[in-house]
Amino acid sequence: MSLTYSYSRSILEMENVRFSYLKDKKFINNLTFSIGNGEFIGLLGANGSGKSTILKLASGILKPSEGHIKLWGKPLHSFKNKDRAKLLCYLPQLLDINLPFRVAELVNMGLYPYDIPPQITVDEALEMVGLKEISESYITNLSGGERRRTFIAMTLLQGSGILLLDEPLANIDVKYQIEILKLLKELKEKKDISIIMALHDINIALHFEKVMLIKDGRILGFGNPETVLTADLIKEAFDVGIEIRKQESGRAYISYENNF
Amino acid sequence: MSKTKILIFIAASVFIFSASVFLGPKAINPFALTGTDREIIFLIRLPRAIVAALMGIALGASGAVLQGILRNPLADPYILGISSGAALTAALGLLSGLFFFGNLSLPLTAFIGAFFASIIVGSFGWRRGGIWPDRLLLAGVGLSFLFYSVLMLLISISSDEGMRRALLWIFGDLSIADWSLIPYGFLLIIAGLYLSVSRAKALNALMLGDELAHSLGFSVNRERLLLFVSVALMTAASVSLGGTIGFIGLIIPHIVRFFIGADNRIVIPVSAICGGAFLCMADLIGKSVMAPIEIPSGIVTAIIGSPYFLYLLRRRDVLNL
Repeated sequence: MSLTYSYSRSILEMENVRFSYLKDKKFINNLTFSIGNGEFIGLLGANGSGKSTILKLASGILKPSEGHIKLWGKPLHSFKNKDRAKLLCYLPQLLDINLPFRVAELVNMGLYPYDIPPQITVDEALEMVGLKEISESYITNLSGGERRRTFIAMTLLQGSGILLLDEPLANIDVKYQIEILKLLKELKEKKDISIIMALHDINIALHFEKVMLIKDGRILGFGNPETVLTADLIKEAFDVGIEIRKQESGRAYISYENNF
Repeated sequence: MSKTKILIFIAASVFIFSASVFLGPKAINPFALTGTDREIIFLIRLPRAIVAALMGIALGASGAVLQGILRNPLADPYILGISSGAALTAALGLLSGLFFFGNLSLPLTAFIGAFFASIIVGSFGWRRGGIWPDRLLLAGVGLSFLFYSVLMLLISISSDEGMRRALLWIFGDLSIADWSLIPYGFLLIIAGLYLSVSRAKALNALMLGDELAHSLGFSVNRERLLLFVSVALMTAASVSLGGTIGFIGLIIPHIVRFFIGADNRIVIPVSAICGGAFLCMADLIGKSVMAPIEIPSGIVTAIIGSPYFLYLLRRRDVLNL
């Protein structure tokens, strides 16, 4: 399937998707959205709003009780595991590996779905995420940001065009948050990778091209941050009144000033 | 780099295996064999060393696999209750005297117990189409207690030679080893080892967590079930060959990971080799130091193993706990 042919098509689609962890209690309710190729989307919502569940549904880890999920126009669950892995990749929020795997070994696991390895090598992937010097280090000795980048390098070897990331910025210093955002942006631009990442920092979400605002498993708004991240919708999503201000440059930011 | 280390492990294992054949209460010079020497070697020492090696291979490999599927560094093959199930039926057989199959009776009764214990623990660990590691672990702990308490009850109400044998057997008794057991143990253990090594990539992925394993294209439930079957096969075969020998399944995989990393494509086979060598060594020590009294190998492995394990625990960086 050539990329130019499918460029304008939606690569990931959900239609009336419902899901619940407990019987009789709908958690994800009638979710419908569609994502195009090369998009970089921030999935924003409070704790427990359903961000992770949506990513797990999209990656096939969870199966919807009703509705359809389509990957490149085909039902997600009709794909063989290995074929799906070549198209779509999910990284959980916690990467707590307590075994002595080396960085290069972990990155190499990205090749597991393949019988014939794709063009990119472990070294190239590590170069791209800036970890080439520590390729022989043990993963257990790395910082949270380095761990995250190791797994992103693994997804590069896996070669999937869609990256689903659950809170990749959680629990790491702001310096590494910026590093990872820069890296993801670079991947989107250079490798045409589509990214959906969950986050809960509204200020970071304001910098995204597209934001999906979630509450109680429903979409409150989906589009560019200026239209979605209004004071009203944020109040609804996060249950807190905040003020959106504009910097001199015209960039919006939220202020917590009147909340303390 | 790691190839050299693997070769060293293999060479050391071959050396220990040969030592356990030629050394013992009576040392034998392999270059000047007498007729009696040949008989000692072929009738007693060689089958015994092979049984010890097979058991150690099974325990080392299944420990490595189990620590992976349970994502728990403290797991060992006996935690699942498979061995205590085997111990219970073996003791029942020994104490009741209902042995109809000669030399094969004890291994056979033990294997039956191990087989049913595997199915029971597996079905308790089963939920929504797959094995859940935490459920499996807790079910195993619960079943072990149950089986062992019934076993102790049996032992406490009986009083004869059968009881002594049962107790010895619980701590690992290699003195019953002879050639008749070897083909059967060999087949089961090699089948389990082959199955686990063929799923080593999946085990690597499972060690990163179910979600990442799924994302890497593995069917999590299917892979975990196959790996559990390999553990059950090897543990059952090992226990039925010579009783429950502790600590090999727990310690050997940690030592191997310490030297060669966590990649299960290497960890499983190297743990198997080292497990085999360790048990040969323990058996050699057990039959030599207080000869003619034999110390059961399970006691030797625990006496060497426990302090070393505690030392490892002190060095947090080794276990990465």
